Amino acid sequence: MIAPVLSVQRLSVRIGAARILDDVSLAVPAGGTLGVVGESGCGKSTLLRAILGILPRGAEVPGGAVLFGGRDILADGGASARGRIGFVPQDPYLSLNPVFRAGDQILEIMRRHAPGTRRDHRARLVELFRAVQLPEPEAALAKYPHQFSGGQRQRLLIAAALCCDPALLVADEPTTALDVTTQREILALLQGLAAARGLALLFVTHDFGVLASLCESVTVLYAGRVAESGPTRDVLDDPRHPYTRMLLACHPDRATALAGIPGTVPAATAQPDGCRFHPRCPLARGDCALDVPQPVLHRGRVIACPYHAEALPEVALA
Amino acid sequence: MPEILGARELVVALGGGRRGLLGRRTAAVRAVDGVSLSIAEGETFGIVGESGCGKTTLARTLLGLQREATGEILLDGRRASGRAPPAARRDRAAVQYVHQDPGAALDPWWRVGATMDEGLRIHGVRDAGQRAARIAEMLEAVGLDAAMAVRYPHELSGGQQRRIGLARILLLRPRVVILDEPTAGLDLSVQAAVLRLLRDLRGRFGLTYVFISHDLSVVRRVCDRIAVMYLGRIVEEGSAEQVFAAPRHPYTRALLAAAPHLDGRASTAPPLTGDPPSLRAVPPGCRFHPRCALARAECAVTPPPTDTVAAGHAVACHRWRETVDAPEKVPA
Repeated sequence: MIAPVLSVQRLSVRIGAARILDDVSLAVPAGGTLGVVGESGCGKSTLLRAILGILPRGAEVPGGAVLFGGRDILADGGASARGRIGFVPQDPYLSLNPVFRAGDQILEIMRRHAPGTRRDHRARLVELFRAVQLPEPEAALAKYPHQFSGGQRQRLLIAAALCCDPALLVADEPTTALDVTTQREILALLQGLAAARGLALLFVTHDFGVLASLCESVTVLYAGRVAESGPTRDVLDDPRHPYTRMLLACHPDRATALAGIPGTVPAATAQPDGCRFHPRCPLARGDCALDVPQPVLHRGRVIACPYHAEALPEVALA
Repeated sequence: MPEILGARELVVALGGGRRGLLGRRTAAVRAVDGVSLSIAEGETFGIVGESGCGKTTLARTLLGLQREATGEILLDGRRASGRAPPAARRDRAAVQYVHQDPGAALDPWWRVGATMDEGLRIHGVRDAGQRAARIAEMLEAVGLDAAMAVRYPHELSGGQQRRIGLARILLLRPRVVILDEPTAGLDLSVQAAVLRLLRDLRGRFGLTYVFISHDLSVVRRVCDRIAVMYLGRIVEEGSAEQVFAAPRHPYTRALLAAAPHLDGRASTAPPLTGDPPSLRAVPPGCRFHPRCALARAECAVTPPPTDTVAAGHAVACHRWRETVDAPEKVPA
C-alpha cells in the first residue's frame, strides 16, 4: 500500500450540542483520488474544513487527527499544510472578488505563501493559466472576474488552488454550477492535472455519476459517520450498507423505481443512539438502536453495518 | 391525445432600445427564434439545453409573461397569443409555473398558508372556509400535514419547500404546469420522492407537464417527449426513447455523451470544441456549425431544414444521415 498523503483518523467534531462528525476515518493515497459522498447534513463541509484547518470558531475536536505529510493539521491550526493543500470551491461565481483583477487575487495568495519575487509569481501564474487551458493566458492576468465565463472562472480557481504547488487538491462539488459539457471539460482537466503533477484528489460530491467517472475509491457519509467505503466500482455495483443501497436505488439511472428513503436525515443536535440510520432502515432490529455498529471488513470494503449481507425487503427498493 | 399547448414559429426578442444609466443603445437579441412545438394533453414534455439556450424565455412566453415578437401560441386549439403580458397571462391562467427555487418564491415573512391563500383570493375564491378547505386538501395531496400551513418558509426543508411550491400552483387548478428545473439542488433521496410525487399528481389531477431541466438522467426517466434547444432553436425533438437511444443531432450527441453515468463508462464522442454560444453573435447558417465536428461549407451558409427521422422524431441538421451510419457509443 502506498503511504497516504492525507489520513483522517477517527475524527470527531462537535459544535455546541451538535455532533457533526463522529469517528470518521479516511485516507487519500499519494496520487490517488477519493470521493466523499453524502446528502445535505451528513458533515461533508465540516470534514472539508477540518482538512483545510479552518474549522469554525467554537468547534471542538474531542478526538481524532488529520495527518498530512505525517503531521497533525489540527494540532498546529493548519500551519504545516498551508499552501500544500489546494482548494477548489463549489461556486465559481461567488468565489472571486468582483472588484479586483482575478490575476491579482491569485498573486496575493502566492505573495503570502510561495517563495520568489513578484516577477517569478507572474511568470508562474501565466504558466498555470496555460496548464488549466485558459484562452490568452497573458491577457487573462489583467481581466476582472466578470470577463470570464463560468467554466473559465472554475479554471481560474483551479489555477489558484495549484499556485503554491500542492500535493493534494481538495474540491467541493466543483462542477455543480456548470452545464454538463463544461462539467465534462473541467473533470477531464482535473484528471489530467492530477496525473501530470502526481496530485492526490479529494473530491466532495453528491453526484454519483461524477464520482464514477473520476474517483478510484469512495467514502459514503451518513449523519456524520462513515456508512461504507471502498473501491468506487465495487461500491456502485454492489452497495452493501442499507443506506448506500437505498440511496443508489434513488438514482434515475438505476432500473429500480424511484423510491426515496422514508424519513429525513437527523439534525446534528438530535442524532439517534446506536446506528444513526436505524430509524430509516428496513433491516433495523433491537440492537441497532443501542449499539454503534462496528466497521466490518468485507472484500476490501469497510461497512458500518453488521447485517450488510442480508437482502433488503423488496418494498424498500420498489 | 390532442394538443393542449402549442407554439408556431415563435420568435421572442429581448432588450433593444435605450437601457441603463447613460441610455446606451443595446441591440435586441432573439432568445427564442422560430420555435414550433406541440404538447399533447397528459404528457410530460421535456425541454433540455444548456444555460442561455432560451429554455426559460420560452417558458415565460408560453406563460404570457413575455410577449412574442411573431408567431403564435395555441391553447386547446385556440389562438392564445397576440396580447401584451397582463392580459396574455389572464388568457393563459390554465398554464402555471413552478419556480426553480421554490424557497425563494415564498415570502419569508408570510406563513406558507397565507401565501397559498393569496393565490386563491387573486383567482376569485371569495369564501374563506372554502379557501381553507382547498388548502388543506392540496397540502394532503402533496404529502404534507395540513398543520404545515402555519409554518414559515425557513422552517421547511428543501423537499418540503418544493411540495409547497407545487401545492400553491395546483390550488389554482391548472391544466399545464411548467416545471423549471424541479430537482435542481435536491439530494438524491429527496429528488426521487419529488419525482414520484410529480408522477402521482399528474395522474390524480390530469396534468400536462413542461419539464425544463439540464439533468439528462432525470429527463430520460420522467419525460415522454423531449425537445433539445440550442441558441434559441429546437435542434431535435422526439420521444424520450428516440432521442436517448438514437440521437441524430451532433449537439444532442455531444450533450448526452457529456453527462456522467453511474457505470462510469467513458464516452467515445469527442468533447465539444469552441466557445459556448452567445445570442449577441449568432453564427450564420446552422447555429451549431462552429462547434460541430461534422460541419461542412454548406452548414455555415444555409440554416438546416427540419427533417423527419422517424414518426415523431425530427432533427434540424444538414448531415444527420451521417450520424446514422457512424453509430457511436452513446449512453444506452
